[in-house]
Amino acid sequence: MIFGRLLHKALTSAALVLLLGGAALAGVDAPSAPWTVEALVALLKEQREPSMAFEEATYSSLLTEPLKVRGQLRFTPPTTMEKAITDPFRERYVIEGERVLFESERKKIKRTISLEDYPALRSFVAAFRASFTGDAAQLQHVYETTLDGTRRQWTLLLRPREKAGQSMVDYILFTGSEGRVATIAIRSPDGDRSVMTLLPGASSGAVR
Amino acid sequence: MIRRFGAIAPIVLWVAAMACGLWLVTARVSVHSELADLLPEGTTATQRLLLTQVRTGIAGRILLLAIEGGEPDALAQASREFVQRLRATGQFDVVGNGEQALAKPDKELLFRSRYLLSRRVGLDAFSVDALRHGLEQRLDDLRSPLASLIKETIPGDPTGEFLGILTGWSGQEGPEKYRGVWMSGDHARALLVVETRAAGFDADAQAAIQQEIRTTFETVPGRPASLRLLMSGPGVFAVETKRRIEAEVWWLSTAASTLVLLFLFASYRSVTLVLLSLIPLSTGIVAGIVAVDGWFGFIHGITLGFGITLLGIVDDYPIHLFSHLHARGSAPAVMRAIWPTMRLGVLTTVIGFSSLLLAGFPALAQLGLFAVTGLIAAALTTHWVLPLCVPAAFTPQAVPRGIVPALAQLAKARWLVPAAAILATFALLWSDTPLWQTDLASLSPVPEDGKRLDQQLRQELGAPDVRDLLVIEGPTAEDVLQRGEAVMAQLEQLRADGMVAGYDLVSTYLPSRRSQQARQQALPERSVVAANLQAALVGLPFAPGLFAPFLDAVEAARTQPVLERDAFQGTALGMKLAALLVEQPGRWTAVVPLRGVADRSRLGEAVAGWQAPGAAYVDLKEESNRLMTAYRDRTVAVAAWGLLAIAVVLVVGLRSIAVLWPVLMPMMSALIVVAALLNVAGESLSLFHIATFLLVVGLGLDYALFFNRPEGAGDERARTLYGLLVCSMTTILVFGVLACSTIPVLHAIGMTAAAGSFCCLLFGGMMAEKETSPDV
Repeated sequence: MIFGRLLHKALTSAALVLLLGGAALAGVDAPSAPWTVEALVALLKEQREPSMAFEEATYSSLLTEPLKVRGQLRFTPPTTMEKAITDPFRERYVIEGERVLFESERKKIKRTISLEDYPALRSFVAAFRASFTGDAAQLQHVYETTLDGTRRQWTLLLRPREKAGQSMVDYILFTGSEGRVATIAIRSPDGDRSVMTLLPGASSGAVR
Repeated sequence: MIRRFGAIAPIVLWVAAMACGLWLVTARVSVHSELADLLPEGTTATQRLLLTQVRTGIAGRILLLAIEGGEPDALAQASREFVQRLRATGQFDVVGNGEQALAKPDKELLFRSRYLLSRRVGLDAFSVDALRHGLEQRLDDLRSPLASLIKETIPGDPTGEFLGILTGWSGQEGPEKYRGVWMSGDHARALLVVETRAAGFDADAQAAIQQEIRTTFETVPGRPASLRLLMSGPGVFAVETKRRIEAEVWWLSTAASTLVLLFLFASYRSVTLVLLSLIPLSTGIVAGIVAVDGWFGFIHGITLGFGITLLGIVDDYPIHLFSHLHARGSAPAVMRAIWPTMRLGVLTTVIGFSSLLLAGFPALAQLGLFAVTGLIAAALTTHWVLPLCVPAAFTPQAVPRGIVPALAQLAKARWLVPAAAILATFALLWSDTPLWQTDLASLSPVPEDGKRLDQQLRQELGAPDVRDLLVIEGPTAEDVLQRGEAVMAQLEQLRADGMVAGYDLVSTYLPSRRSQQARQQALPERSVVAANLQAALVGLPFAPGLFAPFLDAVEAARTQPVLERDAFQGTALGMKLAALLVEQPGRWTAVVPLRGVADRSRLGEAVAGWQAPGAAYVDLKEESNRLMTAYRDRTVAVAAWGLLAIAVVLVVGLRSIAVLWPVLMPMMSALIVVAALLNVAGESLSLFHIATFLLVVGLGLDYALFFNRPEGAGDERARTLYGLLVCSMTTILVFGVLACSTIPVLHAIGMTAAAGSFCCLLFGGMMAEKETSPDV
């Protein structure tokens, strides 16, 4: 499916080049561009799917074994993101602008908090939002970014620049290939970490 | 030589007395400007509470600030910088802009005391089931994106009591936030609240603080020049009111004095006489100030301003003297001739102003003492000192003779006086305008847009209105806290029903000692908690031994000292508690500010329906209006008795009952007619009108007594009438200028006195006894 889409894009690009001539070349022909954070997030945005299934494992010094959850990540342009946990319990975080709606079935809570009240959370959210909306400038404003590897196999390391962010996150590590994220690992300053694996293709609103 | 000295002895004495008085006025007398100093003690507990709240209450000390005129980011940045600098001034108990709601020491104390404070700690707080439920929730927490925010509290607080406490408090939703600070919904204004140390009505202190706030704002580094600071609150209104009154009083008094001096000069063509006419008035003012300061220990700025206005009546005394001067008689002889009439006028006016003394309202009592002392001093000066100062060579200009026949013409219409009174009475009875002003707010000189800004900021900030309170009283703080806990559920119901938008109850933050002790007793022993925890942990992936801090904390809480009100002293939370739980002599009161009251009468009924001991809804505005009404009624009653006393004095002084009619009738008619005129003009009467009516009584009696002087014949009568015209004209000039004021109170006084003086002169003339010898 991904390849189908790429093929389609390539054909469209070729047609455009033919139609518009050389002037359009620079803007359209991505493959020849250098491999940078800008290029990566632009690609991430381009190939973003509206919904992705994920698995997440949390490792903590408080625990003897990792905790695992499954759910869906959803994006609604321009800036709404949702993380919905569906298993083993149902819980939802909807981040819309500066507000986070938190809904938990088990705790019987439905509450909206403002990111303004949690500066740490704010920079945390920025990592995801900026990555998936192609906003490289914002990402590099909040984080020190290190991009390694090749286009086919890359890692993006984010370290928070501000103190508030550092209190919550030691680093965030994205791995992936082309415009697809494979894993997101988050390590907190106390050594606890969580690893989210995104499952390609297992998308759509099937779960919910 | 000795004779000569005897002649000028009064002048020497007067100069000495004035020098003494002036020294006292400049060196010793303290002039206060705090409105609270003029307020009564209050007779009921509610009134006392109200007045304490007005004097020092938190609602009066709150200033609402807003920054506008920039991009939201610039506003937020300015708000943060501004707050830091405001805090550094030390003028404020609390400075809030939405950043960090709870200080670190408060947080630590709360965490330590979580098992005493949490409402969820009951008999089965740490049963296996409850613990299991809590532990499962903590697992969910660890899996959530917020994990790192709460992770550190898990080992010590697996049941989440601390978060539960904070969540319970945050029920009061604050304003919207942007970049961590409060901002209006449209992000056009950053919002701040400060609580000044100084009382809201301390206009001088408030003016200094507000100036400091402005300067602080202007020196915020990196502030874009387009940013503006808005300020509102009772303190701002107090300063604004004072500024406006001072500004207006300055030009009003300048205009009035210039007019009067010019008019006096036109009447007598003598600079000397014009200057001499100032002697009684200045003596009266100095005597009044010294007397009030001696008795009350201070004189209020308002007493001074208003008192000098009332003393305007003493300007009539020198005018009577000057008008009666003629070529053949010396000034002392003229004084002796008119003294009996003048004396009676002074005496009756003193009786009138005495009713202010007896009203029991400090503001009016000061005013009454000032007026009475001033009057007597001015009259004595006019009698003893003034005639000696009039140059012997002085010959007044001829009095226009047409004045006597004109009066005779006027007297033909004497039936008009009772007719006007009757007509006015009916006009009052049928009027749609209420006779009495019951809403104090309508006397406030604060402009409409100022009130609107206040409303708007208050709404955006969710700050309580100064108006609505629930009070819960009891003999001790503990009683009040228990009573507060008892009505918690009902208050929550009120909010659920939309009767109030929010409330701030002390018991939400600080449980009673009884509740805390009950929670302590419900805490199981360590071994029991440990066993239950062991059972609850089965099958859960928590690290072994993780919850040792929890076991320690429960054990410690069993013997921990309970939290008292003063545990939070010096922190923001402590300030809040101090404002919400107030100690008065012999009793304690929880003050519960209510936000967004929908229907006041329904709320009053609902609270009364709880039948909760000591709890009552108080509408501060209604209550203060009621208080003023009570004092007004009392003043009116005392004044009525005063009128009766005046009648008795007149009968004795004039040795005739028959002459009462032409003396009293014009003044009484004038009062009714003026009241009706004001009413028709749409003005309801306030306490200020009443005080001015007493001035009209004095004027009316003075005019009528002179109109009906027994020595009323020929040139002497013409001189008397001329004097009365000059008296009335000066009064109308002074108060006519005052009536132009935009400040409601000054306008009311001016209208009343000017119209009163005119009516008294007109009616007095109409009712004047006919000349004894018709052709001279």
